[in-house]
Amino acid sequence: MSELELGLLVAGVTVGMLLLGTPVAFVLGSVAIVFLVAFEGVDALDIVPNVFYGGLDSFALLSIPMFIVMGGAIASSRAGSDLYEALDRWLYRVPGGLMVSNIGACAIFAALSGSSPATCAAIGKMGIPEMRKRGYDDGLATGSIAAGGTLGILIPPSITMIVYGIATETSIGRLFLAGLLPGLMLTGLFVTWGLIQARLTRDVSTARARAFSLREKLEVLPRVAPFILIIAGILWVLYGGVATPSEAAGVGAVMCLALVIVIYRMTSLRDHWAMLRSSMREAVMILMIIAAAELFSYMMSTLYITQSLALWIADLEVNRWILMAWINLFLLVAGFFLPPVAVILMTAPTLLPIIEAAGFDPIWFAVVLTINMEIGLITPPVGLNLYVINGIVPDVKLPTILWGALPFMLCMVLGIVLLCLFPGIALWLPEFLMGPSF
Amino acid sequence: MMALVRAIRGLSTLGGMVAVCLLLVALASVCHLVFVRYVLGASAIWQHEVVSFSLIGATFLGAPYVLMTKGHVNVDLLDLYLNDGARRALAIAASTVTIAFCGLIAWLSYGWWWEAWAGDWHNETVWAPPLWIPYAAMPIGMTLLTLQALADLLAAGGITGPDPAVDTQQERGPVKPLGASK
Repeated sequence: MSELELGLLVAGVTVGMLLLGTPVAFVLGSVAIVFLVAFEGVDALDIVPNVFYGGLDSFALLSIPMFIVMGGAIASSRAGSDLYEALDRWLYRVPGGLMVSNIGACAIFAALSGSSPATCAAIGKMGIPEMRKRGYDDGLATGSIAAGGTLGILIPPSITMIVYGIATETSIGRLFLAGLLPGLMLTGLFVTWGLIQARLTRDVSTARARAFSLREKLEVLPRVAPFILIIAGILWVLYGGVATPSEAAGVGAVMCLALVIVIYRMTSLRDHWAMLRSSMREAVMILMIIAAAELFSYMMSTLYITQSLALWIADLEVNRWILMAWINLFLLVAGFFLPPVAVILMTAPTLLPIIEAAGFDPIWFAVVLTINMEIGLITPPVGLNLYVINGIVPDVKLPTILWGALPFMLCMVLGIVLLCLFPGIALWLPEFLMGPSF
Repeated sequence: MMALVRAIRGLSTLGGMVAVCLLLVALASVCHLVFVRYVLGASAIWQHEVVSFSLIGATFLGAPYVLMTKGHVNVDLLDLYLNDGARRALAIAASTVTIAFCGLIAWLSYGWWWEAWAGDWHNETVWAPPLWIPYAAMPIGMTLLTLQALADLLAAGGITGPDPAVDTQQERGPVKPLGASK
């Protein structure tokens, strides 16, 4: 059997086993072991515990649980509502300003929490009922929050980017920087579309909020500012090369915990324990997939599948943009069924040699991949954000949310196209601040 | 049988609590590391390793709790289209794969841990901690994980009902803003 046929077989078996409903981590591990034993013999098992444990033994990787705790601390407080409140008080005059506030609050909160579903829950809980009350169409109200929440995995600090950085051995600092401008660009696209749609349906004109005095505008700031300062501090520390991601994340997490206790008086130990337990669950889920993915990519490269696939695609001599389109289509389909972290861990080590052989920048590709994964977060059957929003407003049906989110998905596709035309949107900032990567 | 399943779930819950404590240890060690390195200007000796060991330990010891509360991501696409019988068959197959994989890793990692213990392996660092202590998390965690998957299999096979004490629905939800209801 050639390596390519073997690769197809691996892909087929993996998809089949995923459909059984076995957790992703155990599917990847099982497939790796079955193929290793079948082609390398039972002796190949000796190295398995070492590879499995070794997959977790990286200091950069350990920033993931820290960032999760940081996001969890913020998400468990009322910071989301305050953020929303603050933006609304400043933007209430703008036509469609409420929707702009919502998307803006999503973007900022996404950066703070690093989690898309948490962003949807925190901002949506306040924002969606308010938008509906002021006459916005249900689809626009829910769709804008669903889409705004996905920004969490693009705007730094982003757990998805850390995972990509580890899977492909790319600089995490550079990846974070690369996500910043495209994140703002997407926010801009979302806002633009929201304003257009609000105008088209003319459902905002009746939606005047009451006026806010300057004092009311200022009093909300002190509660929100410290969190934003922490994020700014983390980014500054990372790009200054002062500290490693794990150090920055660890200190950031403890500072956010302290702020939550001081500002929001969250002193109940029970609440903190619950927050730490759900952070632990999320971190363990991701780290387990990482360990198993290490085993999976070890199998793929031991059996020369990764290498042969890259060579084969290079030999095809297809146009590199057609190749990029196919890769995106493949990732999009994978993103329909699997969460971003799982897709990245399963595909990035195999895709990276192909991407590099075709002359694409791995940092740029990380941004394209992430936006692609964002689309998967608001499409069924696994679109997490849709279900979170459905949970907040059960009387809005899933198809309404989906239709509302559709234009925003097209904004993301437009974002990918813009990135292909102008790679500088992603690459300019990291190169400007950190110098060229090669 | 019910008592066995309850005992396994108790162990998984305990593992989860240990994992949360290890997460706290890691957070404290990172802060100590930053303090020593950037405030005192001294070099850190043990903190890097403690952070790594605690978080890897948390991953293995917390994994059974995460399995019990359905926190390990999976594809439940077919579930939507199947009737109860087929769904149960699928759940049994899924648990069997988990048991086979986790059981094999547990068994392999016992040998690996034994080598580290008998061979008195140490990390090649200034601190040079003995490796059998952190390595122990893997065989213990994977064994508990196998047991938890077995408990799930028994539940899926209809031998025992789901444990009412574990509110998985509540656990599955996203992080809820605690103050929002106030």
